[in-house]
Amino acid sequence: MDRYQFEDLISDYIENNLSMSQRKEFESYQENHPNAKEQVESIKQLMGSMKSMPVVETSKSFGDNLYKRIALEKEAKSVVKTTRSFAGYTPLMAGLSAVVVIAVVVLGLEFMPVNTNQAGFQPYMAEGTELNIPDNNGLSQDKLLAEADDDSTEIDATNQQKHDFENQIRLVGDKRP
Amino acid sequence: MDSEFRYTDEELISRFQEGDEQAYTELVNRYRDRLMSFVYRFINDIEKAEDIVQDTLLKLYTHRHYYRNIAKFSTWIYTIAGNLAKTELRRKKRHKVTNLSQMGTEESEYILPSVEPETGDTAQGHFAEKQIQKAIQELPLHFRTVVILRDIQELSYEEISKIVDVPLGTVKSRINRARLQLQQTLKEFR
Repeated sequence: MDRYQFEDLISDYIENNLSMSQRKEFESYQENHPNAKEQVESIKQLMGSMKSMPVVETSKSFGDNLYKRIALEKEAKSVVKTTRSFAGYTPLMAGLSAVVVIAVVVLGLEFMPVNTNQAGFQPYMAEGTELNIPDNNGLSQDKLLAEADDDSTEIDATNQQKHDFENQIRLVGDKRP
Repeated sequence: MDSEFRYTDEELISRFQEGDEQAYTELVNRYRDRLMSFVYRFINDIEKAEDIVQDTLLKLYTHRHYYRNIAKFSTWIYTIAGNLAKTELRRKKRHKVTNLSQMGTEESEYILPSVEPETGDTAQGHFAEKQIQKAIQELPLHFRTVVILRDIQELSYEEISKIVDVPLGTVKSRINRARLQLQQTLKEFR
């Protein structure tokens, strides 16, 4: 047995937890090392002193203070229970949440594209913005628009001729040449 | 037999869980001083120790349903007190480090309460207690907890093992090491 093994067994020796062979070996080490014996005695004394250390008592106001704290705890719980709530929110939080939701909806509507053409999608253009058509065989926008106007005039004239049945229909008794 | 001790701790907590507040009062009376001794020996501050014991017993009140009847009640309550005491020591250490960095190296040791002059055996006994208390404060926390629980609170090794949540062999070894270290420190004090 060396010193480390001896030290490891001190508590077991004092508390009588060693086997007979271990005990004999331990005691034989003590016989040969007076310091070791002294150390065991010293630890025995220490354990005795610690056991007899006085119990530290709580103060006289301990109980009162504890029950006051318990009463406060109960009160705090009942306040939390009785507080009105809307879907789990306090009135303040519910109000704030409602304001935020309304603000988001209003802003969303404000920036949503306005679509007056029922037939299809028409991109939103701010007032004064010119439509830039990339490829029109070199024709300017004004010219295109002018041609479009001319076309519409022609169509109107043709349509008028095609659909002017006034001279073709003759009623009985019509004296026109 | 005293009528107050008809019930075991486990029966009392069970009754308390069912709404019997008298059972709580009984548990408080049984444990307040035991916990006070444990926490005071651990943190060496009487006022803080009382606060911690109050917090522990308040937790017992508010968290009564967390206790499951698979462990001894004493194991559960000592675990709560021990954890709160360790938290307080960590907080104190942080606070001390801050203060030291602000104030320099003064007041680096705990200020021990002044001892009034006494005579004879009482003085000697008191001196020994103070010395032991001071030596305990020099132990690392994992040694300090187990040696207080074993040698001052006189709990079994099995119970200590459950409280600190380490194997039985480790607890035995730590207690032995703690005693050796205490003995060495006290020798240096003399």
